[in-house]
Amino acid sequence: MTEPYMRVENLVKQFGPFTALGGVDLEVYPGEVHALLGDNGAGKSTLIKNLAGVHQPSSGQIYIEGKPVNFRSPRDASNAGIGTVYQDLALNPLMSVTRNFFMGRELKGMFGTLRMDEMNQIAHDEMLTIGIDFSDPTQAVGTMSGGQRQTLAIARAIYFGAKVLILDEPTSALGQRQQMGVLKTMMRVRSRGDIAIIFITHNEIHSKLVADRFTFLSLGKVIGQGTRETLEGGEIRRLMAGGAELGDLAKELADIG
Amino acid sequence: MANSSEASRLKEETWFQRIVRRPEIGAFVVMVVIIVGLMFASDGKAFNALGLKNNIKIISQFGIIALGAAMLMIAGEFDLSIGSMIGFAGMSMSLMLKWGLPFGLGEATPFMAFALTLVMTLGLGWFIGTVVVRSGLSSFIVTLAFLFFLRGATEVGFRLINKSTQVSGLQDFKEDSWFAHFLGGELFGWFYDAWYWIGMQFVDLGFDRKEQWFTLGGNINRRGEQWVEGFDARFLWFIVISMAAYFILSRTQLGNWIFATGDNKDAARANGVPVNRVKIGLFMFTAFCATMFAACQVFDTNTSDAAKGNLMELFAIAIAVVGGTLMTGGFGSIVGVVFGAITVGLVSNAVFFIPQIDGAWFRVFVGTILLAAVFANERIRKRITGGI
Repeated sequence: MTEPYMRVENLVKQFGPFTALGGVDLEVYPGEVHALLGDNGAGKSTLIKNLAGVHQPSSGQIYIEGKPVNFRSPRDASNAGIGTVYQDLALNPLMSVTRNFFMGRELKGMFGTLRMDEMNQIAHDEMLTIGIDFSDPTQAVGTMSGGQRQTLAIARAIYFGAKVLILDEPTSALGQRQQMGVLKTMMRVRSRGDIAIIFITHNEIHSKLVADRFTFLSLGKVIGQGTRETLEGGEIRRLMAGGAELGDLAKELADIG
Repeated sequence: MANSSEASRLKEETWFQRIVRRPEIGAFVVMVVIIVGLMFASDGKAFNALGLKNNIKIISQFGIIALGAAMLMIAGEFDLSIGSMIGFAGMSMSLMLKWGLPFGLGEATPFMAFALTLVMTLGLGWFIGTVVVRSGLSSFIVTLAFLFFLRGATEVGFRLINKSTQVSGLQDFKEDSWFAHFLGGELFGWFYDAWYWIGMQFVDLGFDRKEQWFTLGGNINRRGEQWVEGFDARFLWFIVISMAAYFILSRTQLGNWIFATGDNKDAARANGVPVNRVKIGLFMFTAFCATMFAACQVFDTNTSDAAKGNLMELFAIAIAVVGGTLMTGGFGSIVGVVFGAITVGLVSNAVFFIPQIDGAWFRVFVGTILLAAVFANERIRKRITGGI
C-alpha cells in the first residue's frame, strides 16, 4: 500500500457554539478517486473549505506527505498542492479560454507582455490530455458547455500543480451526457497516477462509477468509510441516506399517508 | 469523444463573418458614414487643412477622456467625476501659473504647475478608488458625490485665491517652454509642410488653390502661403494614450487582470488577481486622463474657468459605450472607442462646416447612436455568455 498524499486527523470545526465538523478522519491516495458523500448539511463543504485553506480548523491536524501543515489562506493550500474546483468554477465567461486558464498566473515576457502563443498552446495541450480537443483557445468561455468549463477548471488546477484535486459537486447542474464527460475526465486524471481526487457528490451512481474509496458524512461526523471492495451497493445507499434504511423511510412515508 | 464533438458544433466562420461580429464594427460603420456624409455636406471644408486640425482637436479631447472611462468600465466601474476633475486640474494649474506655487514656494514653471496638479489629481483618483473598493458601494454614487464636491471645490478655490471664477491672459508659456509646447502647442508640422509642398507642386502645374479639390486646397491660404502649421499637441496625447491602452489591454498581464476584474471579480480574486489594486489604479488613470485634457486646454488657450469640463464625464461614458464597451464590464475595445471618439467629435463640430443646420442636433445624434450602441452591445454580450 502506498502512503497517503494527504491525511486528515480528527478535524474539528466549530462556528461559535455550532459544531460543523466533529472529528473527521480522511486519507487521500495518489491515483485514486475518493468520493465524499453526504446529505445537505452533512459538513462536506465545511470540510473542503478547511482543506482548501478558506477556513482554519478549530482542532485536529492535516498532514501532507506525512508532514503536519497549517493553511492560513487559500494560497497556502494551493502552494501545498491542493487544487479546489468550486461549483462556480471561478471562470470569466466573457474572456477567452486561454485568458481564463492563466488568469492571475499569466506567463510574462519582457516588460510584462503576455506570451500569448505559448499560453494558447499550453491551454490547448493541457485540455487535450484530459479529454477535450478545443481547437480554438481564443474562444470565449461563455460559448462552452458546462462540462467543457468543468474540464477547463480541472485542467487549470492540474497545470498549476494540484496534487490533490478537490471537485465540489462537479456533475450537479449538468445534463446526462455532460456528466459522463466529466466522469471520463476524472478517470483520465486518475490514470495519470500522481494525482488524488476528492470527489464531492450527492450522486450515488456517479460515485460508484469512478470512486476507489468512500467517506460518508452525516451531521459533521464520518458514519462510514471504506474501499470499493469492502462496501456493498446496499450499504452505500444506506450510508448515503445518513444511516437510515430505505425500508425505514418507506415505512415512515407510509405512516404519514 | 463526447466533448470534442460538442466543440465541433461551433460553426467555422469566414473572415467576413468574423469581421462583422467584431464589437467595434457598429462604431466603424457609423464613423465611415459620418466621414463620407460630412465630406459631401461641407463641400470638403471639414477636411481641408484647417477643418482637419479643428476636427482632430475635438476628437482628441473626447478621445483622451473616453479612453480613461472605457478602461475603467471594462474593469466594471464608472467615473462620473471626470468632468469636475478637468475643472479642478485646470483651476489648479492656472492658479499656480498666475499666483505662484502654494506655500510661497515662488514662481511656477509650467512643469511644476503640471506635476503638482498631477500629484493632487492622482491622489484624488486613488482616494475615490479606495472609497469605492473599501465601501463596496456603487461607483456611480461615490463618483457622483465627487462630481459635486470637485466642481464646488473648484469654484471655491477660484474665488478664494483669484476673486473671480476665471483666469485669462496668462503668459503664453508654449512660446518658450518646450514642456508647455508639448501640451498646448502645435506638433506634427511635417504633415502640414508636406501637404503645403504637394499643394505648391500643383500650383506650379497651373492648378490654383481653389481648383485643387483633390488636395483639399493644398494647405495654401489666400495669400498663397502655408495656411496651417501643425496639429494641436492633444493629438499626440490621444495617440500615445490610445496606443498604451491598446497595448496594455491586449498584450499584458495587467490587461488580463482588467478584463478579469470587470467580468467576475470573485472569480478573478479566487485566481489571485489583485482586484482592488486594479480598480484603484484605473480610477487614477481616469484622473490622469482628465488632467491631460485640462493641461492641453490651459497651455493652448492660456485661460481657465470653473465651468471647464462640464458634462464631459457623460460624453466620455457615451463614447466608450458607442465604441462597444459593456456597461457591465469585462468587455470592450480600444479601437472601438477611437472610432466612437472620431464619430462624436466630427458630429459635434459639424455645425461649423454646415452652418445651415442647428447645432443642437448634435445631442440628438449622440442620444440616438448611444441607444443603438447599448442594444448592439447587449446582443454581443448575450452571444458570448449565452453560449450553447
